[in-house]
Amino acid sequence: MPEIRIENLTKKFKDVTAVDDLTFSFPEGKVTCLLGPSGCGKTTLLRMIAGLETPTSGSIYFGAIDLTQLAPRKRNIGMVFQYPVVYRGISVYQNIELPLLRRKIPGNERKQRIEEALELLNLKDQASRDSSQLDNVSRQKVSVARAISYRPDIILFDEPMTNIDANSKVQFSHFFKELSKKLNQVIVYVTHDQTEAMTLADQIALMEDGRMVQCNEPRVLYNEPEEIFGGWFLGNPGMNFIDGRCEQKDGKNLLISSFFRSPLSILTNGFGRQVTIGIRPENIKVSETVFNNAVVANVKRKSITVGGQFLYVIEVDDVEVKAKISAPSRELMDAKSLWIEFPVEHIVLFDENQKRVPADLTYVRK
Amino acid sequence: METVVEFDGVSKKYSKLSVLEDINLSVRQDDFMVIYGLPSSGKTVLLRLLMGLEDPDTGDIILRGENVRHMPPKIRNIGYVPQDFALIPHKTIFENIAYPLRLMKKSTLEIKPVVERAASMLSIEELLDKLPTQLSGGQKQRVAVARGIVKETQIYLFDDPLAGLDFKLREKLIDDLRRLQEDLAACFIYATSDPIESLTLAAHIAVLHEKTISEIGDPQSIYLNPHHLSTIDILGFPRANLLEGHVFRKASEVWCRAYFLEFPIVTDLGVSTFENPMDVTLAVRPESILKAFDRDKKCWTADIYLREDLGAEEIIYLNIQDSSLTMVNPSSQNGHYDVGDQINICIDPASIFVFEKNTGARIGRGVNNSNA
Repeated sequence: MPEIRIENLTKKFKDVTAVDDLTFSFPEGKVTCLLGPSGCGKTTLLRMIAGLETPTSGSIYFGAIDLTQLAPRKRNIGMVFQYPVVYRGISVYQNIELPLLRRKIPGNERKQRIEEALELLNLKDQASRDSSQLDNVSRQKVSVARAISYRPDIILFDEPMTNIDANSKVQFSHFFKELSKKLNQVIVYVTHDQTEAMTLADQIALMEDGRMVQCNEPRVLYNEPEEIFGGWFLGNPGMNFIDGRCEQKDGKNLLISSFFRSPLSILTNGFGRQVTIGIRPENIKVSETVFNNAVVANVKRKSITVGGQFLYVIEVDDVEVKAKISAPSRELMDAKSLWIEFPVEHIVLFDENQKRVPADLTYVRK
Repeated sequence: METVVEFDGVSKKYSKLSVLEDINLSVRQDDFMVIYGLPSSGKTVLLRLLMGLEDPDTGDIILRGENVRHMPPKIRNIGYVPQDFALIPHKTIFENIAYPLRLMKKSTLEIKPVVERAASMLSIEELLDKLPTQLSGGQKQRVAVARGIVKETQIYLFDDPLAGLDFKLREKLIDDLRRLQEDLAACFIYATSDPIESLTLAAHIAVLHEKTISEIGDPQSIYLNPHHLSTIDILGFPRANLLEGHVFRKASEVWCRAYFLEFPIVTDLGVSTFENPMDVTLAVRPESILKAFDRDKKCWTADIYLREDLGAEEIIYLNIQDSSLTMVNPSSQNGHYDVGDQINICIDPASIFVFEKNTGARIGRGVNNSNA
């Protein structure tokens, strides 16, 4: 199966540019999640691929075929929406059969494909049930079964878990992972939920204001954001950002901040004067006693967060950062102030344009 | 600190449907009291009773030392931020925020500084001349909060104000609300169904469960040492694992058995209560299910149904024998688990809480019997 390629794709609604001159490839055999806040253009992009919106300019290719001007039904695309599209009053089996009848797939072949879809989605037991009796997850599974039964070249998911309760999301995610491994084709999945994207995607395309911020494997995107936006958007809470100052001393490039006991030497040249230092809450090292390059920080408050971890709001020179600590000791729990260190391997540096710059940092020993 | 709000045995029915039963709650002047409960557990009704928009069937509500039974809502002087933050579309943001003061027939001269102060507390000064349609969702929510705090009062109610907002916005507004309460040093009563929001904001949490308050305390105490099943069940993300089992007497000890688990417990009730086996519900938090090391004597093999990556941590859903468990691993950096993999887990019995099945009252907690 070939890839989908978009070239200089732009979509304007009156004076709003929803998708701005995007060039990008969706590789075959992979799940690409379009992730971003509402209004970032992810849904508009998906709808243009499906043919439900006409691009203002630019092209969409499927392999060598130009899809841009092709009607939606000629694109051979399967789509799953937020609300499951299931016809009531007919069985699950008949629901899956409908798109095949419309495509005039002959009887034997039809039967085989329906069986296959039922098998893939673990719907065999429910094949003869009236679809109006199904719960939300099963209804969404039937939508997926319909979308894959006619073997589309591309499958698009538009926030398919929006209307599914928390428990059933686990079930839907489980089956999605199994399914995506078996289907070796282009899958595009739109979501605003970072956990969903991190869990389901082979690669995440992070979008903001109609442009692509970064596209990487989930862990790479999380650990090495190319822009401040990525560091902020992923993580709960997102990355801490504090100001740093670059100086030159004795022919050395140094990075200075009140969060470092001694300056950090930067091996790479060419920084502007002011940089932003990024570090994730779980990567700040803390202790109630002094260690290595730690500085003293005041504990402003602490609260319990995901999985019983503690989120400490701590302060150095009136600048607050958040640190996530799992299973803190009794001493750490009672501490009014504590010692913190930013391990160099977890520091990400951004320039004045909010873009990441290579850091290669080491603490300068005093 | 003085108590400013008190519910004393308050119950509320709508025709025959009982919504709240025997609510007892007292809130101090500088408290941040979170009313936490699942959706439709009666949180809004509780706030409406305090506002005077509903009357209790039985019991008393004491506001600033005074019984409110014959006090009309107008003179109760309580700030209110509803969940549905409908702004008046044709009025400026200034007028939207000023609305409660206009209703009180205050003059523009009096209103102006109050509105400006509220706007500055929520960093929306530059929006005052705009219309609601020109604002984003988060800005609108801040306007609604500003409108809720313009009244000169020391009591503010918030009815799940962040529900439905996307979660990056919630993260920001949670910080703002926390700071706002510190700045105002006022009494906040805040209803929500989000466990992390509750744990982050609250000075005290009242867990509303099955029409009544099942437990009250500061977040840390009731999270780490819950005394009612509902607390450990719903207050936490991800939710705790519950298993059905029973406890029985074994010589001078009391033991608990459920599925693959068997361990002694320290009871809150004394040993003699357990002459006959008793049906119980065990609760164990996802962070108490640990990856086993070779040195762990007692461990079980589980199948991974799903691994969710939250960035800083991972949630792993397990199938083990005939039950399923949720575990949280605080470091997802090295997680290479996937659907269908196997993992060895262990559970320290000391992290298991045991509750009476029918009432949800705590019976005791497990003891680590590694020497047994």
